[in-house]
Amino acid sequence: MKAGCLQPRPAVVVFVINLIIHTSCHLADLQICHTCNGTLLNDTVVGRFCSSSDGRVEGRCCFQNLNSSTTVHVIGLDLSNCSLDQIDDLQDASTAVVIDLSGNPIVNISDFVFQGCSALNEILLPTNLLCPGGNASWESIAVSEGSVICRGQKSMCNETRHMTLFCPENSCCAPNGPGFFSCRCIDGYHGYKCRREGEFPFIQVFAPIGVGMVMLSILLWVVQRRKVKTN
Amino acid sequence: MFWRIYCKGESCLLNSRLTAIALFHSYVLLHASRKTFSNVKVSISAQWTPSVQNESLPVWEEHRLFADEEEATLFLGALDTIFLFSYAIGLYVSGVIGDRMNLRYVLCFGLCGSATVEFVFGTLTEWLHLYNVYLYCGLWVLNGLLQSAVWPCVVAIMGNWFGKSGRGFVFGLWSACASAGNILGAFLASSVLKYGYEYAFLVTSVVQFAGGVVVFFGLLTSPKEVGFGPAVESDSESQRPLMSDEEEDEGCDGGYYSVEQSEGPQEELPQPISFLQAFLLPGVLPYSLAYACLKLVNYSFFFWLPFYLSSNYGWKEAQADRLSIWYDVGGIVGGTVQGLVSDFLGKRAPVLAVSLLLAMGALVGYSHSPADQVVNAALLALTGFFIGGPSNMISSAISADLGRQDALRGSQEALATVTGIVDGTGSIGAAGGQYLVSMIESRLGWMYVFYFFIVMTGGSILFIAPLIYRETRSMWRDRQGLHQQL
Repeated sequence: MKAGCLQPRPAVVVFVINLIIHTSCHLADLQICHTCNGTLLNDTVVGRFCSSSDGRVEGRCCFQNLNSSTTVHVIGLDLSNCSLDQIDDLQDASTAVVIDLSGNPIVNISDFVFQGCSALNEILLPTNLLCPGGNASWESIAVSEGSVICRGQKSMCNETRHMTLFCPENSCCAPNGPGFFSCRCIDGYHGYKCRREGEFPFIQVFAPIGVGMVMLSILLWVVQRRKVKTN
Repeated sequence: MFWRIYCKGESCLLNSRLTAIALFHSYVLLHASRKTFSNVKVSISAQWTPSVQNESLPVWEEHRLFADEEEATLFLGALDTIFLFSYAIGLYVSGVIGDRMNLRYVLCFGLCGSATVEFVFGTLTEWLHLYNVYLYCGLWVLNGLLQSAVWPCVVAIMGNWFGKSGRGFVFGLWSACASAGNILGAFLASSVLKYGYEYAFLVTSVVQFAGGVVVFFGLLTSPKEVGFGPAVESDSESQRPLMSDEEEDEGCDGGYYSVEQSEGPQEELPQPISFLQAFLLPGVLPYSLAYACLKLVNYSFFFWLPFYLSSNYGWKEAQADRLSIWYDVGGIVGGTVQGLVSDFLGKRAPVLAVSLLLAMGALVGYSHSPADQVVNAALLALTGFFIGGPSNMISSAISADLGRQDALRGSQEALATVTGIVDGTGSIGAAGGQYLVSMIESRLGWMYVFYFFIVMTGGSILFIAPLIYRETRSMWRDRQGLHQQL
């Protein structure tokens, strides 16, 4: 039932291991997956995507292991027909590839909710809403069965020529969600606006200064102040 | 050129020279770290402003101390003004303190204290990500006060070793050390700028602190400390007017301070002159205003040159720092050459007038300089020659001319008061000008800043025109008299 967890082994070890395993499995038990009751169904858009990607269903989410690691991340989220009237935070599902929000009485949804969703490739929204990031951020927009389907997120970096001007020198544009981009510092550069390069060589700078100071002080003291007469 | 050393013997000679070298280097270090702020203005401004975003959210944690570059530039100008004001005020106070306390302690306190404040200002605020307008202002006021302690002590200690009348040469040498400090500061800052502007402050303040420590352990404030008494009669020479056959260049920032008569043999105390009386003496007002104008231009170059080179021509900040060195090179050469020329002529004002006129031309030329680094450097050196030269000389011209007035002849205290007024007005004018520069640049652009400089230089000539006329006339009369004799 809990796909991906190890089979239990005998004795106390079993209990301990079970505890650890259950805990680790439950680590993936994100709040967002239980926003509303029910679980991911096989015949929904997200459900079909989940089974085709060999993902594991948990509440309303579909999880998948990251490449050769034990951590899991959300690849699908189905919050359709949940009677939600607003969505504030999708941070936990920022790695999702497919999101379904149709069938909810959402009045409007801020574009910033989707900031960071760089993997998002398909999203279903209630009919009155616009695709996040505007029409220019998606390759195809279709309206069907009472929902808007936005497919194929376009990278903002290719979108307009002047994007490269917005990233400061020493940084490159990287997509950061529909209608968003982020500037990543290129190799060797770091810090605010990628202005800083390399690590400051503390020892090489301060050792000579310290040594010089001590030697000069001693030298001058010997030559000058040693003979000082105090009245 | 005579070094009237206040003691005899080989050992004393060595001590006096070491003292001079130590003081020279401590002043170089002071100027190096003072220059650091102007060397990193571009980087600091970038740190204070948000990254340029037009269509989506900013992508970095917003360091929004200022909304845009213009506001940041205005604040940079305000900081310069604050520094200069507190420096000017500190000069008045420090002279008093220096007379009452051990000069070595005051000097060391000034050097180390200023280094610490600069470290907090530039490095600690960045490491802690603590960006606050009031903090910056408060620290810079403190820095100005602490730095102002250095110059009077330097002059006083040099006076103890080399006699009061050796001042002309001292000032000549010190004008070179200020420029040397600027050059050193530019090199240091540009070398570590790529790691971040906070490291430029770190390096210069650590070096200055080290200098303060060396001064503490190695400086003799007076020959008396090691038992040398004054072996050369001293004060008959200081009775002579300062316009003598010695170097006449002024101190680095005009922070001329008289040496109070605490060490030399006592002479009859002259009548003190009140502030108002001194202000109303003929020549004081014109000189103050002229000096204010010229000091404004010179200080503006000091504070803004790397920022101008970087923002106007788009050169990298480290490159701009290295280029700005040429202005100081021109200043050193100009101060020396013009000092020698005026020594040869025996009159200073005509040399000043010619140099200032040519300075206006140089400013016009420099403002239209092409973006080629070599040409720019050459024009910069030329500008430095014609502006730095008079700026280094004009203060001693003031002292000399005022010293020759009958009302003040022989009165050290009165001369100090008058010089203090002239210097103080000059410093305040320069201080106010810094904010003006940033305001003009923000609203109108760099070309209008250069027009402003040209107007100031012209104003400076106008204010000292009476003196120029008088000296030129007496020069012609001397020449005619000489021809008649022959």
